[in-house]
Amino acid sequence: MIQYIVKRILIFIPTLLVITLLGFVISVNAPGDPVERMVTSSQNSGEVGSQSKSQLEQKKFWRNKLGLDLPVFYFSLTSVSYPDTLYKIYDKSEKEALARFIHMYGNWKEIEMYSNSLNRFCISQLEFVADSNLIKQYDENAVLEILNQLRFDALSLKTSFDPSVIKAKNKEIIGLLSSYSFLSPLKSNFEKVIQNYALMQQNASAWKNYIPRIAFYGFKNQYHRWLFGDGGEFSKGLLFHGDFGTSYVTRQPISDVIYSKIGWSLFFSMLSVFLAYLISIPIGVKSGANRGSRFDKISSLVLFLLYSMPSFWLATLLIMTFANTDVFAWFPASGVKPALGYPDGASFLQMIKISFPYIVLPAICYTYSSFAFLSRTMRVSIIESVNQDYIRTARAKGLTENKVIWKHSLRNALLPIITVFANIFPAAIGGSVIIETIFTIPGMGSETVFAIQNNNYPMIIAVLTITGFLTLLGYLISDILYAIVDPRISYK
Amino acid sequence: MVDKKIEISQVVEELESGKDFNFLKNLFFQFKKNKLAYYSYKFLIVLIIIAVVSPFIATDQPLYCKYKGVNMFPAFSLSNSCEIKTEAGTIELIQYDIADWKRLEASTIIFAPVAYSANKSDYDNADYVSPNGKQLFIDKAGKTVKMPLRFRHWLGTSKAGEDVLSGLINGTRISLSIGILSMVIASFLGIVLGAMAGYYGDRKLETTRGIFWSMLFGLILAYYYGFYVRSFSISDAFSTSSLTVLFQLIVSLCIFCFVLVLFFQFGKLLGRMPFFNKRVFVPVDSIISRLIEILISMPLLILIISISAIAKEKSMINLMVIIGLTTWTGIARLTRAEFLRISNLEYIQAAKSMGFNEFRIIFKHALPNGIAPAMVAIAFGVASAILIESALSFLGIGVPADTVTWGSLLSAGREQFSAWWLVLFPGLAIFLTVTVYNLLGEGLRDALDPKQNR
Repeated sequence: MIQYIVKRILIFIPTLLVITLLGFVISVNAPGDPVERMVTSSQNSGEVGSQSKSQLEQKKFWRNKLGLDLPVFYFSLTSVSYPDTLYKIYDKSEKEALARFIHMYGNWKEIEMYSNSLNRFCISQLEFVADSNLIKQYDENAVLEILNQLRFDALSLKTSFDPSVIKAKNKEIIGLLSSYSFLSPLKSNFEKVIQNYALMQQNASAWKNYIPRIAFYGFKNQYHRWLFGDGGEFSKGLLFHGDFGTSYVTRQPISDVIYSKIGWSLFFSMLSVFLAYLISIPIGVKSGANRGSRFDKISSLVLFLLYSMPSFWLATLLIMTFANTDVFAWFPASGVKPALGYPDGASFLQMIKISFPYIVLPAICYTYSSFAFLSRTMRVSIIESVNQDYIRTARAKGLTENKVIWKHSLRNALLPIITVFANIFPAAIGGSVIIETIFTIPGMGSETVFAIQNNNYPMIIAVLTITGFLTLLGYLISDILYAIVDPRISYK
Repeated sequence: MVDKKIEISQVVEELESGKDFNFLKNLFFQFKKNKLAYYSYKFLIVLIIIAVVSPFIATDQPLYCKYKGVNMFPAFSLSNSCEIKTEAGTIELIQYDIADWKRLEASTIIFAPVAYSANKSDYDNADYVSPNGKQLFIDKAGKTVKMPLRFRHWLGTSKAGEDVLSGLINGTRISLSIGILSMVIASFLGIVLGAMAGYYGDRKLETTRGIFWSMLFGLILAYYYGFYVRSFSISDAFSTSSLTVLFQLIVSLCIFCFVLVLFFQFGKLLGRMPFFNKRVFVPVDSIISRLIEILISMPLLILIISISAIAKEKSMINLMVIIGLTTWTGIARLTRAEFLRISNLEYIQAAKSMGFNEFRIIFKHALPNGIAPAMVAIAFGVASAILIESALSFLGIGVPADTVTWGSLLSAGREQFSAWWLVLFPGLAIFLTVTVYNLLGEGLRDALDPKQNR
């Protein structure tokens, strides 16, 4: 048995690694730049070209802290034309423009030259201060306008790759540069850009794209860092310290967020499983033992309808009827506790008592579907077990019908519903996305949705990893439980 | 009772006359015995018909219109406008999608049964007009009158004045197509992978070392030339149209297969060398089982939400593919279990000994006998795909914002609880459709269960 368990746990490891990798692939391909969001949301100025120096430094700091300036994985499949250093470019659209150039022309040396000269031009025009003698003839606002126009064109040039678009932009910039004499110091820089662009197009070697190459990055990569940490500076790593990294939204450690959110999800999933077992076992047994009776027919129909009922519809209907001031305002429509929180020094029981009206409706939604499923499973396995020989023997012994069903038949029929028990913990981490969103319960499900809407990918990877782990563990536990309950099963 | 006897005797006759025993015919015969499942099957056909003709039964463009002597068929027309020469000699242009048809001075005009489009507003009846409430209509003279029966919003309107019934009919098309097409993808993957895992196991697919290593290497290169090199062409296709996406994907797949075939031949050549000629087993079952294990250990809804969040273009086709790619595991597991059993049966051994190739044995001999449990899973799978789609539109994640679906109507109802029609009818539509598919699955399972066939 122990050998079997060890073997199973060893098989876990590659599966878990693949799950984390999948999470990583999703997070890397996600649209939007998390650092951009973090910095601009705190300082409220996201206009193009108006990025202050402190903002740039802050961005660099966060990139470094989160490890976003590292390559993603130990190695990657690329082509000969790709440089090893493309990951160092932070801006996603800029990176895409360069990747497109590589795809079109395949000559990194020239592309790099073009990109460098363009960068130089951008920096020079950012630092550009017009000669005060030359701008005398213009209005101050007009000068600002022209400079802004130039800035906008230059920055959008950085993210464009379509030849016709670049041609149009170049024309525009040249027009600006030649029609306003005070801009002439920038001219030489821009001429270089155009020169390099032409050079890039001339010396194209797109064939290089068709020769594959595997690039190795060594241990300095995001995935390695996520697993092992960076030596305790910013993150300790998952493998030895259970550190899931930092939330992009609140900048808290992910583990703290999970710790603060998991309580309600765990509470609801435990409560719902408990209630579901409490109701479904008697119903399943009663209808299974009296197959074809009126009770059986009615309960089967009701259970089937409940089973097909979409949870979000039921939740909405419940709120509409029982948490609606126009109909019955019996329960509050959202949240888990009063807006003011619990009174100071309230005991656990008091807290439950205060929260009770908040819990009723979500608990119904959490419970009904698993309850319907369990009752149906229970019914089928009771029907199967009452036809067995040992039940006939029990009846022949003269036991009462109640004893036959509730003692002899039930025990054997419980086997299939053990599986459900193993699903509690993964369900708690994932939470019920829909129910928690509808009732605004501060649990893992609503947190996950929030994370997805805000590109908070460390959170999503953490959720996927933990649920994956718990699901695998759940399967293992249910297999072991099977062996304990049913002596006929053995894992040798 | 009499009917049944005749039907049974027909089947017995057929069996005795030595004709081929038709599996599907027998299945349908057993299936028909379950009245509820049979009615849900009929209901489903009605739903599918509604879905197919939905562009013509719920649209504000008339089916036929005769205006100033010109015949027009706006609902069926591919072009969007019609030029009409007026008596004064000027040209009047009628644009089908923005014309005010209900107030057009047409000599004859035939509207669709539901004369509203799903995502177009009726501004005169905006702000949640109840089905039984007062609805207004501005007639041709410009006077506001009571709504004529023909143009009534039978199931009310939403906040912007969109007709709920039209939205429901449109939603039928979206829900059913997502449910069915995503299951087409899932069942293709599930049946093929499950059949391979079950039939070959870990120790039945034997090949030479040369082919094994060459194919492994070829897989990487096939991915490289099929998808990596063409990644920009594929991602550009997403912003043009779904047809180009399909075309690009097919091109990629062709390159992928071509490279694989090339490396297979190369592996054969390698096999001439003694070292590469050693026989090895491909652990098909282990690989596929691990793949299934990985997918089922992640919460499905969260996985689908996070994958659809990274899709650049939010479209229903994307959603379909994502649901299909993540829900095939159930079908694969059932098919695998069935094939594990079948691959040891005598008739498969017989087929092998007659020298049929593996492909033929799997798909012609084993599959028809092993597909039954998968059919049940597919029926349930359509139900769950529809639930996932409506849940996602309800949450507003991963679906285009301007598409009217059952889920989006339901979530619009959450904003205004007094608009009960926005909650009741779309919810009922989802509930009924899911129930129908579940009943169908149950009916199929009963029909396939030999213990039940008395």
